[in-house]
Amino acid sequence: MKNIYQTKLAKIIDIKKEAEDIKLFTFKFVNKKDQTRLDFTPGQYFILSVLGFGEAPFAYSSSPEEKDYFQVCIQEKGTLTSGLFKLKKGDKVGIRGPYGNGWPKEIFSKRNLLLVGGGLGLFPLRPLIRSVVLAPQKFKKVQIFYGSRCPELLLFKKEYKLWQRYTDLCLTCDRRSRGWKGRVGVITTLFDKVKLVEDPVVLVCGPPIMYKFVIQKLKELKFKDKDVYLSLERRMYCGVGTCQHCVVGGKYVCKDGPVFSYKEIKEMPQAI
Amino acid sequence: MKPQQLKKLLVYLSKDYTIFGPEKVGDRLLIREIKDAKKFKLVNKKPFYSHKEFLIPSSQTLFNYDKNKLLKPRIKRKQVLIGIPVYDLKAFTLLHEVFEKDVYFQEIIRNIILIGHSPVPEETTFYEDYEEHILEHLRFDIFLEFKPKGEFRVFTGSEDGQRILEKVGIKDYEHVEYAGAVPEEGLAITEKIKQKLVKSSKNTKIWKELNKRCIVCGKCVISCPTCFCFNIDDEPAFEKNQGSRIRDWGVCFYEEFSEVAGGEKFLKTIGDRIYNWYDHKFVRIPNEYTLPGCVGCGRCIEVCPANIDLRKTFRDLKKLLKSKKL
Repeated sequence: MKNIYQTKLAKIIDIKKEAEDIKLFTFKFVNKKDQTRLDFTPGQYFILSVLGFGEAPFAYSSSPEEKDYFQVCIQEKGTLTSGLFKLKKGDKVGIRGPYGNGWPKEIFSKRNLLLVGGGLGLFPLRPLIRSVVLAPQKFKKVQIFYGSRCPELLLFKKEYKLWQRYTDLCLTCDRRSRGWKGRVGVITTLFDKVKLVEDPVVLVCGPPIMYKFVIQKLKELKFKDKDVYLSLERRMYCGVGTCQHCVVGGKYVCKDGPVFSYKEIKEMPQAI
Repeated sequence: MKPQQLKKLLVYLSKDYTIFGPEKVGDRLLIREIKDAKKFKLVNKKPFYSHKEFLIPSSQTLFNYDKNKLLKPRIKRKQVLIGIPVYDLKAFTLLHEVFEKDVYFQEIIRNIILIGHSPVPEETTFYEDYEEHILEHLRFDIFLEFKPKGEFRVFTGSEDGQRILEKVGIKDYEHVEYAGAVPEEGLAITEKIKQKLVKSSKNTKIWKELNKRCIVCGKCVISCPTCFCFNIDDEPAFEKNQGSRIRDWGVCFYEEFSEVAGGEKFLKTIGDRIYNWYDHKFVRIPNEYTLPGCVGCGRCIEVCPANIDLRKTFRDLKKLLKSKKL
């Protein structure tokens, strides 16, 4: 019988600082077969373990097209991340997964996409953006709304030029600040300022407070519930719907999500 | 089967197995190791706690680690659990389904002999539907039905059970073929009603009232034979880079149960968490496994220091339904 808690060893091959307490880790499985067999859908997650610090779930930040490594962008926030942030290039971690359901990949090639990311909510959207950059033929039009509190907290800045070649990237910062010449206002203001891509499926990830306002805006704009997807964050241990920590409205975020359509979310009290 | 034969059976088993059964400790009936099988007497009472701890240990080592190596400990303990009332067997049958793909649970259960017995009507126990035919949907090796004069009617539910009885020379048993956990007719209508009641009561005052009374001690969860939530954490050893990855029982009533890094909690009030407990037992488990998540042992009622009574909650839910507030 397979042990679902057995992890596979992965080596840290690169660490990049993205912000004060945010780092982009690049991993490669120690066993070659584990690396070549790695396949996931953007929006799916894996469980990362640092011995002595336990385990925690993280969304992939690289795309499935990147075959030689995988990446995850992490903010130092809890027990596990405090252990991870002490590690250096060459150190090893344990990985199990992929788990859950990612963004609805069956519509990627059929519909225009509007990605709405707030703050760290860009992490699970980045694999999709990387896919668009690496395999643009698989997608129709892609528009990105990305909002941050201040310019310093905008993530993946160095990649924007590349993203802009393949997507309509629209940035906004909540507050006016020195040196920021871009748009100012919370993310929902972009819907009034920017011409929306035609009839898109909307993929949203951000803090819970953002969901309320984005959903409100999308309703005003008469978006269909089934055309809106959100990714939820919850505490998780097992990853397979047993430990109960991630339950919301009768569903398990770990195996039924983390991505849900708004149609499903509406039936799940206290989901957002 | 005569009482002497039960002694003979236990003496035989004690050669290869460690036996755990109910023993009077103070005024409580607790599960203890039966060191002298000859002296053991199976009493007609419900143990204060179930044998759950033996199937899903309250603290279980998933791995011992050394640098980057994870080593899974082998579980070889051979145990006999005796004194399991039929509702606890029902709970363990559910755990079997829940942990079907869990290598740790499967290893433990492979080396355990379960000896169940018929229930005793008690004040708090609301398990009423004990009938012979339910045995085919329960996981057990040997089942003892209490008869007058300390005698038992004996059933076997596995090949292990048959083999053991044959070895001891107990011939007057009936074999029950396990027909899967779920009866053909599916979930009982009484359970379907409970499911509906809980499901439609999310926003009623019932949970707000319980919110005021519950003191979040977690005793109901610990004593419940079906509660199986867990946490997984690492416990470093004194030696550098060594330690264990441990799976502990979780308590869904605790505030941090739904807390994510950064401090956000999703089950915010005690009422939210009590509702979640009922939702798990009466809505989600029946949905996922077509089995009731509450077996009616009544332990949660007995241990609650705030006198929260599941039976009263359901009476209140029914009243709400009648008054059309549900």
